Amino acid sequence: MPLKIVVGIKWVPNTTSVSIDEKTGTLIREGVPSVVNPHDLIAVEAALKLKDRYGGHVTAISMAPPQAILGLEHVIGMGVDEGILISDRAFAGADTLATSYTLAKAIEKIGDYDLVIMGHETIDSSTAHIGAQVASWLDIPYIYYAVNLEYIEDKHLLRVRRILEDSIEIYNLRLPGLVSIAMHSDVPRRVSLTNKLRARIEKPIRVWSNKELDLDPNCIGLRGSPTVVAKVEFMPKVPRKQEVYKDGDPKEAAKWLVERLVKEGLLKIPGGE
Amino acid sequence: MGTVPTKFDIIVVGAGPAGSSAAYTLAKKGFDVLLVERGRVVGSKNMFGGRVYLKPLKDIYPDFEKSAPIHRWVTKERISLIHNNDITSIEFEGKEATSFITYLSQLANWMAIKAEEEGAILLTEVTVDRFEVEDGRFTGIRVGDETLKSEVIIDAEGANRLLLERSGIVAPLKPKHVALGVKEVIKLAKDEVEKHFGLDENEGLAWILMGDITGGTPGGAFIYTNKDSVSVGLVVILDEAIENIDKHIYNYVEDLRLHPLLKRYFGGGRIMEYSAHLIPEDVWGMMPPQYYYDGLLITGDAAGFLLNLGYTYRGVDFAAYSGYLAAEAVEQAYSSGGPSKENLAVYKKLIEDSFIYRQLRKFRGVHSLMKNKRLFTLYPLIMNLTARNLFLPEDESLKVLEAFKKARKGRVSWFTLLKDLFMVVRQV
Ligand SMILES: Cc1cc2nc3c(=O)[nH]c(=O)nc-3n(C[C@H](O)[C@H](O)[C@H](O)COP(=O)(O)OP(=O)(O)OC[C@H]3O[C@@H](n4cnc5c(N)ncnc54)[C@H](O)[C@@H]3O)c2cc1C
Ligand SMILES: Cc1cc2nc3c(=O)[nH]c(=O)nc-3n(C[C@H](O)[C@H](O)[C@H](O)COP(=O)(O)OP(=O)(O)OC[C@H]3O[C@@H](n4cnc5c(N)ncnc54)[C@H](O)[C@@H]3O)c2cc1C
Repeated sequence: MPLKIVVGIKWVPNTTSVSIDEKTGTLIREGVPSVVNPHDLIAVEAALKLKDRYGGHVTAISMAPPQAILGLEHVIGMGVDEGILISDRAFAGADTLATSYTLAKAIEKIGDYDLVIMGHETIDSSTAHIGAQVASWLDIPYIYYAVNLEYIEDKHLLRVRRILEDSIEIYNLRLPGLVSIAMHSDVPRRVSLTNKLRARIEKPIRVWSNKELDLDPNCIGLRGSPTVVAKVEFMPKVPRKQEVYKDGDPKEAAKWLVERLVKEGLLKIPGGE
Repeated sequence: MGTVPTKFDIIVVGAGPAGSSAAYTLAKKGFDVLLVERGRVVGSKNMFGGRVYLKPLKDIYPDFEKSAPIHRWVTKERISLIHNNDITSIEFEGKEATSFITYLSQLANWMAIKAEEEGAILLTEVTVDRFEVEDGRFTGIRVGDETLKSEVIIDAEGANRLLLERSGIVAPLKPKHVALGVKEVIKLAKDEVEKHFGLDENEGLAWILMGDITGGTPGGAFIYTNKDSVSVGLVVILDEAIENIDKHIYNYVEDLRLHPLLKRYFGGGRIMEYSAHLIPEDVWGMMPPQYYYDGLLITGDAAGFLLNLGYTYRGVDFAAYSGYLAAEAVEQAYSSGGPSKENLAVYKKLIEDSFIYRQLRKFRGVHSLMKNKRLFTLYPLIMNLTARNLFLPEDESLKVLEAFKKARKGRVSWFTLLKDLFMVVRQV
């Protein structure tokens, strides 16, 4: 049975070029080009690998302003079948609760799905809330930080591998279910000429506003967001000691370095003093 | 909704000024056009100094002034010779303008949107790896392991012509053929730009500086006023730079920005971006043997269609106009029976009959001036010493000629000086 997969992608400011306004504590987003959250491209890659192997249909969804069409075109260029942009002023100002609620309702509207795949976390907010919250709204099981997915067709289960510090865990996930993919666990494929052409010519992207989703205004956007940002504080600058070892001998240098680190209490040598 | 085609009439490679104007003009004429750009968004890979001449763009886009992203009209031109902490300038100012200042990224974007509006299909983040060739005819593009066919390819890939190299049409660029440009954009409030540079609303300054600011390397610096920012940068001849320059080229831009007489212009501004790009310099040395091949037309920087006037470049308008002529050539070829090699040859004629070719010929010698290092270090020094002798007298004032003679003495012979002067007057 081919898999029907939904992937969540977030349209984020390219934080490698974002700075923070020290006075207001807000991101200076002006003129900063946005991109698809890089960890989400790995989620897309995981979905496409499943599709390559077992067949199926991949839908990307993104709750974002209209420019995020470019992001959906990008993942369609990679091989995603269709995109849904959830975009409405009514959704603006959402915290993770309101965001996950809206995404979950959109996934419900898509209706027929076996698997939802999310990224590890985003580069602009990095809460890693969305996966678990969406799964909770949908009342489906979820597993975070997967590195490898395999579909066991006859049982309609997903075999999920994840790597912890001292062990490898393997789960059988009942479907429909949700997984988030560990960051850096794979490399997203390039867009292909034909798929990108398809994105431009067939335009397989739908835009859903709250007219289509018809959600209670008290559950979405700013009104549906109970979180309050009380204050943003800057980390105080920690004065750093700088010492340079000038002599060329690497053995002596290593000894010198270890002695310093022990003296500063940063390194303990078992048995030694 | 439509189905994905496997062939286009025309595939244009590169959505810079050359490619987008070709795609726009062809789509408007009813051709099926695909415009392919490797950048994630159009304009992300394009960089230039700041000034564009209007007329050629207006010929292509009748509504240009109304809807194009024009920051300021150049009403003030300043050319400065700089040595140490002295600057001697000549300035022209008026109320009319035939050129404007803009961000190339915005202009390129606008041009690509115009092409899309006429029905061209734009593909970003797709890098063409090479051209498909069958029996000597260029028949399409290859991206990874996919191909797409076309009747005609328009190459608008810019100065770094990897596709032409891979097709065996040109040899790899040599450092002596190109210059390196680096630039910073510094954010200022709109009224600060106007206050700092003495401009009214919509008025702009194009400022060229020559002298020790490039560390003795032939080249020059530029400053352009955008709407609410200033572009500052410099251009150095690459082979000379490789030999002479001992610090990162970025430091020269920084020196410029922090120069005691210049830094006040940028005071309080935040650096928004830093970029670097190659510019064709010895355009006659790097031109491909022909501009047209069987199924292929070459436009813009890739063809070497860039004019160096010594005090300014004309690259954007030349590129755009060559793209326009390529589109005209394709249409004419079709109406003479089809885009065969013979019929596409009309492109050569269109180029050679145009201002592009006339201008390139007329200013052909400017490049040779770039070899003359005296122009970039010694004469700026002498001019500034002359100004010092003239304007900073102790008690007795000097006559102009006296001031000059005193500055020249022991630095350059009259013979060399007159020879150089003659060269400059003849070429520029
Ligand atoms: C206190 C607070 C206040 C906020 N206020 C605002 C605000 O006023 N305006 C504003 O724009 N944002 C605001 N945000 C940010 C916004 O709520 C979150 O960015 C958003 O809910 C997603 O959370 P995240 O980025 O941490 O995603 P994570 O939970 O780290 O993301 C995990 C995965 O979920 C998926 N995902 C996340 N977001 C989306 C999405 N939008 N569409 C599709 N898939 C997605 C991706 O696959 C992603 O990899 C606020 C956040 C907080 C914590
Ligand atoms: C520092 C500097 C200052 C300048 N100052 C001025 C000035 O003040 N005024 C002026 O008129 N001109 C100026 N120029 C020159 C001007 O920028 C160029 O002449 C002009 O941009 C050329 O246009 P083009 O379309 O030929 O090439 P480009 O603008 O270089 O565009 C080529 C496009 O092709 C794309 N591309 C390349 N290879 C591929 C591929 N294989 N597949 C897909 N896409 C590809 C590139 O990403 C790029 O977008 C300056 C240049 C520099 C570097």
